[in-house]
Formats: sequence, structure tokens, C-alpha cells
Amino acid sequence: MEERIKVSNLVKRFGTFTAVHDVSFTVHENEFFSLLGPSGCGKTTTLRCISGLEQPTEGEIHISGQLVTSPEKNVMVPPERRGIGMVFQNYAVWPHMTVEQNMSYPLRLAKRPKEEINAKMAYLLDLLELEGLERRFPSELSGGQQQRVALGRALSTDPRVMLLDEPLSNLDAKLREQMRFELKDIQRKTGISILYVTHDQVEAMAMSDRVAVMNSGKVVQEGAPHDIYETPKDKFVADFIGTMNFVPCSVTGKTEKGIDIRLRGGAEFGLDGSSVNKGDYILAIRPEDIILGTEQGVECEVDVRIFLGNVIEYRVRIGEDLLRVQTNSSMRFEPGDRTRAFIQNGLVFPK
Amino acid sequence: MDVRYVFMAIIGLFFLVVIVYPLSLVVVKSFSSEAGFTFENYVKIFSESANLKAFWNSIWVSSLSTLICVAVGTILAMLVVRTDIPGKSWLRMLLLLPYGIPPFIGAMAWAQLFGPVGYVSKLYMTLTGATSAPWNIYSAAGVVLVLAVYQFPVVFITVSGALGKIDTSLEEAARMSGAGPFRTLIDVTMPLITPAITASALLAFVGCISNFGIPALLGFRARFFVLTTKIYSALSIPDMPLATAMAVILAITSGIPLILERRLERGQSRYTVIAGKSVRPQTMSLGGWRIPVFIIVVLVSLFAGVVPLISMLLTSFLKYWGAPLNLANMTTSHYKYILDLPMASRAFRNSLFLAVSAATITMAVGALVSYMSVRAKIKGAKTLDFVGTIPYAVPCTMVAIAMILAWSRPPVMLYGTIWVILAAYLVRYMPFSIRTTNATLQQVHVSLEEAARVSGAGWTQTMRDIVMPLIKPGLIAGWILVFMPALRELTMSVLLWSQGAETIGVVIYNMQDAGYTQIAAALSTIVLLVILAGNAIVRKLSKGEISI
Repeated sequence: MEERIKVSNLVKRFGTFTAVHDVSFTVHENEFFSLLGPSGCGKTTTLRCISGLEQPTEGEIHISGQLVTSPEKNVMVPPERRGIGMVFQNYAVWPHMTVEQNMSYPLRLAKRPKEEINAKMAYLLDLLELEGLERRFPSELSGGQQQRVALGRALSTDPRVMLLDEPLSNLDAKLREQMRFELKDIQRKTGISILYVTHDQVEAMAMSDRVAVMNSGKVVQEGAPHDIYETPKDKFVADFIGTMNFVPCSVTGKTEKGIDIRLRGGAEFGLDGSSVNKGDYILAIRPEDIILGTEQGVECEVDVRIFLGNVIEYRVRIGEDLLRVQTNSSMRFEPGDRTRAFIQNGLVFPK
Repeated sequence: MDVRYVFMAIIGLFFLVVIVYPLSLVVVKSFSSEAGFTFENYVKIFSESANLKAFWNSIWVSSLSTLICVAVGTILAMLVVRTDIPGKSWLRMLLLLPYGIPPFIGAMAWAQLFGPVGYVSKLYMTLTGATSAPWNIYSAAGVVLVLAVYQFPVVFITVSGALGKIDTSLEEAARMSGAGPFRTLIDVTMPLITPAITASALLAFVGCISNFGIPALLGFRARFFVLTTKIYSALSIPDMPLATAMAVILAITSGIPLILERRLERGQSRYTVIAGKSVRPQTMSLGGWRIPVFIIVVLVSLFAGVVPLISMLLTSFLKYWGAPLNLANMTTSHYKYILDLPMASRAFRNSLFLAVSAATITMAVGALVSYMSVRAKIKGAKTLDFVGTIPYAVPCTMVAIAMILAWSRPPVMLYGTIWVILAAYLVRYMPFSIRTTNATLQQVHVSLEEAARVSGAGWTQTMRDIVMPLIKPGLIAGWILVFMPALRELTMSVLLWSQGAETIGVVIYNMQDAGYTQIAAALSTIVLLVILAGNAIVRKLSKGEISI
């Protein structure tokens, strides 16, 4: 597969603060790649370095095989000559231009013939469902519409690479979910490579082919959403992706299939698939990996029940620890009920 | 009955008597002759060439000055906000300095620098051996230039504010769309700051056309008249009907731009978009031009502010005007002279009294009006707010004429006393105090008050414990914002003063007019020191948000 964006050993320092620390990754053709991390993790800075709006301190960036940034080799192609589309967090649609003027601006700058511009506009207005709004000013549009104008502008020159900087974070929850599908849809239809920056793990999981999780300027883990969810590399990723229960535990011995675990309250059970030495650890359990009301398992007491619609969430007490449990089973428990909980999956991390 | 309505009635009556009645008298008078209603006074303006000429002079001088202000102000704002020019905060301070200097004092300083025996003129003669400088500050050109120097900060402040507020991602989006830095400037940045430039141009135009001190000090000698100075002459004849008609014309020519500016401000909403996360503003690298541009900007800003101040200081110590600059020719005798001059100390006392009274009364009334219109939202309070801010659109010259018409006949004979000047100040500064108190009150969210009420505090207790402490810094800053310009006011007091009721501005103006350049300079230096001190206090109180 062809490489569209290649970031190698990127470093960006602001004074003494290192915002991006030795970051490398590759985005291939037709790929939806996300940089995911909490605010201040360096993901936006990385994106801005790729766009050319920011100059990194060290490292190299290639776009479609061409070297565009390299402080060592004194290469810094200005943003306007990188041929990439970009959608900003706040859309950045120009308030003094109409929808059509906004979207056709890159084409007009490129001095494309009028017929081509018109045809492209018709295509984009249709693709983004903006027909009839072409003469409106941004202030007369809703947030979602402004967002699509920004998207149209970024797509207008058929770039092979598009950068999106938290483009959905200013939308309300309903619209955000809808736009997730639309974005994925547009990517499929246009075959563009997308680099997507977000702090919303659900968003990244839902849309991406691959995700790079970032923390304090570094890429902590890279892989397909499913893999990252199933086998987070460390406690940070486990905590950041999805919901996770963390409880202190001690590993008391090894078994054929895995290890034996004891919680603080004395509850003991076996965990498959792990093999660590005896000692004290942190046990991470997904809420959906605890099954209530089973024959086997550890004793527990239901503390709180919350109805979430498609699932029911319980908070249960196992010994000294409170754990979240999510289930869609028809079995109902009331606060105060005593039952058994079976832990079917879990990960141990060093303390 | 609600006590608030009693307050409203009292303030309403006060506004009617002090603002509405005198100002409408001017309009009425301008349409009347001994025979009754007439257009004769207006016909006289547009048929007599001297009057017509003054009108056209006002228009073209103000337009040209405005043009210079816009060009210089915008370019400087761009340089200071959007390039990597060194010493930005220092430059900003230097460039804003002329804003704090009273224009008529500025005119005096420029005459000291560029007059026939001015410092710069003499330097030029020594350097070239010429017998006279090739320029004449006492001319239309001089008026245009000095007006521009004292109005360009308006453009600079507004445009640099607008530039600082632009969401940088709008410009970055242009870069990502394929536009280079220059194209981005033309296609995105300029259109976005155009409303700010236009608004500040309109304000600068109004500032120029209603200015009296500069055309008076630099134009009279060349027999170059504009509307404000022509009205001054008409009043000294006195030709009241002509003066009133010209004042109305002046009010219209300065009122129209103000209305346009208001419209523009309201139309701004089209330009508001969701604000993104704040990224450091993009600054353009000047490259090799960085230092040359810096030197030019420093020279411009020094000449706008610091050089005139130094010249004023030098002149105040000079033995006689035109004496060579050396230590032997320096003396403190002018300051001693001022100390011994009863008129000078009287003027300081008068100005101090007027400024304190005007600031206190207008702030008290303004706070009440604001509270009722912004917070209590009482019916009719908006009308009071509107009436109180009318004088904002009325040039000082017209306010002064209104005072003469209203208060120089029985039963209220204030003309010839200090009280008529106070009345004029109250009219003129009322809009400023209402605006500042409005802004201050709007900053205190109503929920803070409501929280106090819910916690069990009564209305008076809420006022004392919550509202007053929160708005106090704003009120004090507002008080000083009226006090400072009132202290050095010239345009109204020069038309209303009388023996024993002189103000500082009047004494300085008369001294300069009579040729006592150094006495005027010494008085001005004292005034400037007071202004600098006041400015420092306001900045401290408002944490740098407001300055004079």
C-alpha cells in the first residue's frame, strides 16, 4: 500500500516544554487513521506540523512520498503548497464569504476553469447535502452545516490527504453521531486518506482503521481499534479507551491456563490468558466482563443500579472494592441483593 | 409607590432641563429671526463665500486627516500585532501616547517644533544653511497633519483590537486552501478587519471635524477657518443666529458618521463565528526588513508622542522663545511666574472644582440610569438612557452655544459664572458616564445578585455587599475618565469663560494666543504631568484594560 503521510521521529519543543516527543507513524492510502489522546497530549501539535502551520524542532515528514518538513535538511514546504485539505475544530469558515465562495476558494486560487469549478460545486453540494444554501453566509447556517462547508472546502481540490482536527467536538451529541457515519461514508466514496485528531475514544474507535493513542507527547500504542480495546498495552491506554475497573490485587500462583488472583477482601478466582510472577498488581476488568448471578464466581453485593437504556449498569461490592458491571441480560438485581459475580476476562498491570 | 419611579422622574426632569431644553434652543434659534421662522441663517452659510469656505474646509481637512489616520493607523496595527517586529509592548505604549495629550497642547508642541523658529525648523536651517524652513505649520497642511497625529490612535486601537480578535484558524484555513501569506492577507484578513477600519475612520472623522484647539492655534494666523473656529468668530461678533445655524450644520456633519458607525457595530453580528481554541496569532516574519521597519516605526511613534512632550518641557524652561538651546538660556522663572499669577491658581482651582463636580454628578446619575435600564429593566429607563447619551453626537461647540442660549437670561442667569461651564460639562460628559456604568454593570452577572437574595440578603444589603464591591473599580475608573478630559477641557470653556471663571485650558490657550509661549508651555507641562499620573492610576485600577 502506498504511504500517504509518513512522520518520522517528530519532536516539537516550545521553549523548555516538549509537546511532541519522538513520534513516528505512517498513514496509508485509503486509510482512516486517528491520533487519540487527552488534551495536551501533543496530537494537535503533530497535526499542525504535518499541515505546515507549525515547524517541528526535529524529525521528518513525507506527504505522498515527498519530503515536506525536515529541520535538519532545512526543508519546510509552506502549508499552501502541500496539497492537503484540512478541517479545523471550529470549522474556520470565512464569515465574509458565502457557502459557495468558501468551498470554491481553493479551486479559484488554483485557477481552475469555471466549468470545472461549477461541476465540482454541484458535486460537493450534493455530497454534503448543502443544496439551496450556496448563497447563504456562515452566520445563517447551523453548526452542522458550517461543519460540512468546512469539509467541502477541504475536499474541493481532491486532495489525497485530509487532516481533521476534532471536527465534531463543537456539535451536539445527536449530530455528532450522525456526522461520524457521514465522514466514514465520504471517505469511502472519495478514497481519501484521513488523519483524524480527537480526544473522544468512542469517535476514534467508531471511524478509524487504525488508531495511535498518544500521551504526554508520545505514541503509547498503535493498532486497530479492536486490538487496542482488547489488549491495551498499559494502564493509561486501558483507562483511556472504554470504561475500566481498576482494583489492587495479588497474584498467588500460576495455573495451566493462567494465574490465580486474590482481591483485598479475600475473594479468590482464576484468570485465563495471563502469565505473571507472584506479587502485587493492578487488575483491570471491563464492566461487560463481569457476569452477575452465576453459579460459580466470587460473592458480591449489589450497591446501586442505573438504567442506561440498552444496558443496565450496576455497582457491586466485592470485598473492599466497588466495581462497575454492565449487562444486557434480563436478570434483574435490586440494591442489597447478594449474588455471585464471574470475572471472565481481565488484565494485570504492574502497580 | 415604588421609590425607583421617583428617582426616574427626577432624573427625567434633570435631563429635560439640562440636556434637551438647551440643545433644542439651538435648533429653534437657528431657524428664527426677528420676524419669526426663517431659513435665512442657513442661506447665509451657503451663500456667503467665507462661511461656505469654512464648511468645505472642515469637510476636506477632516477627510484628508482621516485618510492619513487610516493608512498610518492600519499599517502600524498590522506591524505591531502581526509581524515579528521587536519591542511590541513598548511600541504600543509609545503609539498610544498622543491619545492622552490634549490636542490643543499637542498643537502648541508641534508649533514649537515646526514653527518658523521651532526646534526642528532651526535644526534644518543650521544643517542646510537656508534662511527659513520649507514648511509652514501655521497652514491648512499643518492643521491636517496635527489632527491626524492626534486621531490616529483611535484607528490604531480599533484595528489592532480587531486583528488580535481574529480567529487565526480563519487565516490558517486560507493557507491550507493554497493561499500564500500575502493572498491570505488580502482575501481573509483585510475583509475581516474592514468593519473595524471603517468604524474607526468614522470616529476619527468626527474627532477631526469637531476639534477646535488645533485649527484655532494653527489656522487663525493663516486666516484658515473651519466650522468650529468660524463659530468661535461668529460668537465673538456676536452673530448668534449664524453661530447657531453653523453649529447645527456641524452637528449634522458629525452626527451622520456617528449613526453610520453605530449601524456598523450592530451589523457586526454577521461576522461573529464560533471561537476556537486560542492558538498563538500567526506572525509574519519581516526578514531583513525587521530592523529598518522597526526604526521607522520608532521614529513615527516618537514624533507622535515623546518628541512633543520633550519640546513642551524644554520650552517651559527656555528664557525667551527662539533662544538658542543651551544651559545658560534655561530658567525656572516661568514656573515661579505661574505660582505668583492669581489667574493661574484660580484657573487650577476652577478646573479642579469643575472636573470633580462633573465627574461626581455624571457618575452618580449615570449609575442610577444604568442600574434601572441594564439591571432593573424598568419601563422608560431605556428612554432615559437614550436621552442621556444624545450629547455624544453633539459637538462641544454646539453644547457651549446651547448653554449661552439657555442660561444667559432670567430667570436663570448662569452665564458669566463658573456654573454655566459646569452645566456644559454635565451635558457633554453624561454619555461617557452612562456608557461606562452600563459596561460595568453588564459585567456583574445578575445571578450574583440573585444568589445574594437567595442567601437571605435584602436589596440594600445586596447592593452594599455584592454589587457595590464588584462595580467599584469600574465606577472609579469611569469617574477618572470624566475627570481627566474635564480637567483640561478647552472647546466649551473657551466659549463660556469669563473673568474669574477661567479654566486651565482657557488660560493656556490665551497665553499661547497672546504670544507667551513659555508660560503656556509651563502650564501645559504641569497639566501633562497630572494626566500621566491620572493615566497610571486608571491603568492600575482597571488592571490595564482602560487608559485615557
